[in-house]
Amino acid sequence: MTDFKKIEENLKKEAKRLLESGEVTVVLAYGKGFDEQHPMPYAAKSVADVENIVFNEYCTYNMARYLVRYPQGTKIAIAVKAADSRAVVQLIQEEKVKRENLVLLGIPVTGMKNSKTGEAIDSKTTCGMVNPVLYDVLLSEEIHGQKPVSPYDVLAEYEAMDNDARWEFWKSQLDKCIRCYACRKACPMCYCDPCFIDQLKPKWADKAPQSPGNIMYHLTRFHHLAGRCIDCGECSRACPVDIPLYLFHKKVAKECEEMFKQASGMSIEDKPVLVNFRVEDSDKILE
Amino acid sequence: MLRCAFFRFAATCEKVGLASRTSRALPLEFFIAPYNDFIERKVMSFEPKILGIACNWCTYTGADLAGTTRLQYPPNVRVVRVMCSSRINPSFIFRALQFGADGVLVGGCHPGDCHYNTGNLYARRRLATTKKILEFAGIEQGRFRVEWISASEGNRFAEVIEEFTTQIKNLGPQTKLKIQE
Amino acid sequence: MLKKKAIEKIPELAAALMDKGSLLAPVKEASGHNFAEIKDPQKVDLNFYNTIMSPKGAFFPHKEDFIKYNTGKPTSEAEQIEVDPKPVFLFGVRPCDVRSFSIMDIHFNAAGIVDPYWSQRRKATTVFGYAYDLNQPVDATDFYNSLGIYAADTEGSDIFMVKTDKDLLLKGITPKGEELLAKLNTLVDAGGDDEKYFEETLKKGKEYKTRFLCIDQDVIAKKLEAIFDNNDFWTKASSACLSCGACTFVCPNCYCFDICDDTMFSKGTRRRVWDACMFTDFTLEASGHNPRTQVFQRLRQKINHKYSYHVKKYGVISCVGCGRCTRSCPVNIDIYSIIEEALKV
Repeated sequence: MTDFKKIEENLKKEAKRLLESGEVTVVLAYGKGFDEQHPMPYAAKSVADVENIVFNEYCTYNMARYLVRYPQGTKIAIAVKAADSRAVVQLIQEEKVKRENLVLLGIPVTGMKNSKTGEAIDSKTTCGMVNPVLYDVLLSEEIHGQKPVSPYDVLAEYEAMDNDARWEFWKSQLDKCIRCYACRKACPMCYCDPCFIDQLKPKWADKAPQSPGNIMYHLTRFHHLAGRCIDCGECSRACPVDIPLYLFHKKVAKECEEMFKQASGMSIEDKPVLVNFRVEDSDKILE
Repeated sequence: MLRCAFFRFAATCEKVGLASRTSRALPLEFFIAPYNDFIERKVMSFEPKILGIACNWCTYTGADLAGTTRLQYPPNVRVVRVMCSSRINPSFIFRALQFGADGVLVGGCHPGDCHYNTGNLYARRRLATTKKILEFAGIEQGRFRVEWISASEGNRFAEVIEEFTTQIKNLGPQTKLKIQE
Repeated sequence: MLKKKAIEKIPELAAALMDKGSLLAPVKEASGHNFAEIKDPQKVDLNFYNTIMSPKGAFFPHKEDFIKYNTGKPTSEAEQIEVDPKPVFLFGVRPCDVRSFSIMDIHFNAAGIVDPYWSQRRKATTVFGYAYDLNQPVDATDFYNSLGIYAADTEGSDIFMVKTDKDLLLKGITPKGEELLAKLNTLVDAGGDDEKYFEETLKKGKEYKTRFLCIDQDVIAKKLEAIFDNNDFWTKASSACLSCGACTFVCPNCYCFDICDDTMFSKGTRRRVWDACMFTDFTLEASGHNPRTQVFQRLRQKINHKYSYHVKKYGVISCVGCGRCTRSCPVNIDIYSIIEEALKV
């Protein structure tokens, strides 16, 4: 059972050390919200701020999404769980941040819960990994001996559906969309300025929250995240109308892994799959 | 005049070894054969609208060759020329389907032969992803196709168009992504 | 005259209202409750705390078509879309949301230019206010007491409803409401006990406490003005903010919209859709300049608009403390906490 209090202590200790020594200018971690069950993302900029850092099972936020807000060259320490570390690796691959400017505080953890519903979070809605893939300091011991579960098991039901049933499912889900763009903003990989949906020349979709625009927005977004999505599930948790976006992202991630033999966000030496090609690529993927 | 056309046709077939001398007899089917397509088209009323995106150096040139050698193929594919298959933004495919295309056919150079060296290698990965996305969304698989057609493959171009058009005809009109007014 | 209806028989009431016009009531959806047009009277569900989206969509829809046109043709040939004059019954609105309608009226009805779409819908709609269940604990995100609203406020409703264990009690507050109640034959008259319960609930509503911040609205408006240039405070307050727009869309008091001409080939529609000051390109100008590129500027704008500029211009805070923004925020930002912190600066 993960000792959240211990991790919080270690996090505060590390943050204090890093800020005092001047090694970093900001620590991206978690802070108090309006109550215990609702913590918030928090950026500690001074030693005094460290007091406000918390860590509990509701701290699901992927802090990597805030990395691109800081000017290039800022020294940042960031608290990362498994999927969050993959996000950082992916951002390094895409050259949005440099490895030497980051101090990763790795948090191996199980037992996270959705702060809005209280539900337990597992590999059904996230990547299912428990240990960060990249870290400078580990805030608690790596967790081993977990039963290996594929994050793609949840797709079986949808892959078994026939085309029409799947279309009906996605149409009814995407019709709920109110185009608030919380999914886009919650995602660490959605850093484009301007985003395609905000462009008028060409106008890819209109602003009204109705079927054609919603479908264009979501399908294109699924494509833009192909091979980049690290399956943290934040987009689906951010959605105010509970669209299961994680299902589609998982499917695309699964296909990209199978076709291109590379999972996203695993090694900083990799190149993102869609800006790369290999001699071994075959035409079979087009069938 | 029809008879002359038929005799000429039979003679050519003979010449190229496609038929024996006896084919110059006059069965009705031979008579109607050149018009089969026309009859079919009028009887089967669904005429698909297919968007074809062809890369300038290979596929578009191949299409040109099909034209200069007077190869017959269905007129349903509207061809748009791009300089390289990697110019294709997957949103083009989604947009085409939303705007009423019943099918989308992309043609590029064979991998390894791209005029810009590596364009189609990126395009292959990208369009394969597009295919998987359309499939998971529930769009029929046969509606989006990627073919590598080189500049000398005029016959192949005509063949692919023929096949694809028939396939789309069988799938019927695309109503899922099409914006209903 | 107090009327009542047994709770199991509410579908009959729903059916009666559906006969008279369009019924908008809360229905259970996968993620919570939302107002929807009722086609099946069984779907009306009054067992909820509050809906996810506010009921402002009844008067100010998320997407509203104005004109249908054909490109290349003269403007005189464009078709104007009229508001359907059918009566609408907005059923089961909590008191804080009912208050939001009168605040929104300021913008759409009372500040000079009258929005005909809003006004027509307002006139055609009968609002059925619905008291909070005083036996259920208050949600941690609500703070409507701070805005002078109580759990069983009848102000603004045409008909006010209170639920007992067995019945739904309905009372006409305005002449429009009373007239409608008289016509609904499916309702039965309530007895003396029910009358007492109703009055008591209205009184006890005042004691049902939410989070309370003693806000004198002029004090808060002045304080916000004073700390406008305090970038440290605003950067801290907005450090978690994703600048997504979810809070704006669920808020009953946010009214910004964008007019777009959506053309496809040669046919098009001019429509308005909700817009959000939290969007990055909200203040993007045609020149390319954007005065609010930073998240803290946009969050500051939102808070200032609701609690400072609106007070100065119209004398009322543009917030009813319903708590939806906090509940929908992907990072749990709490507007109440920000105001609290602002007052302490």
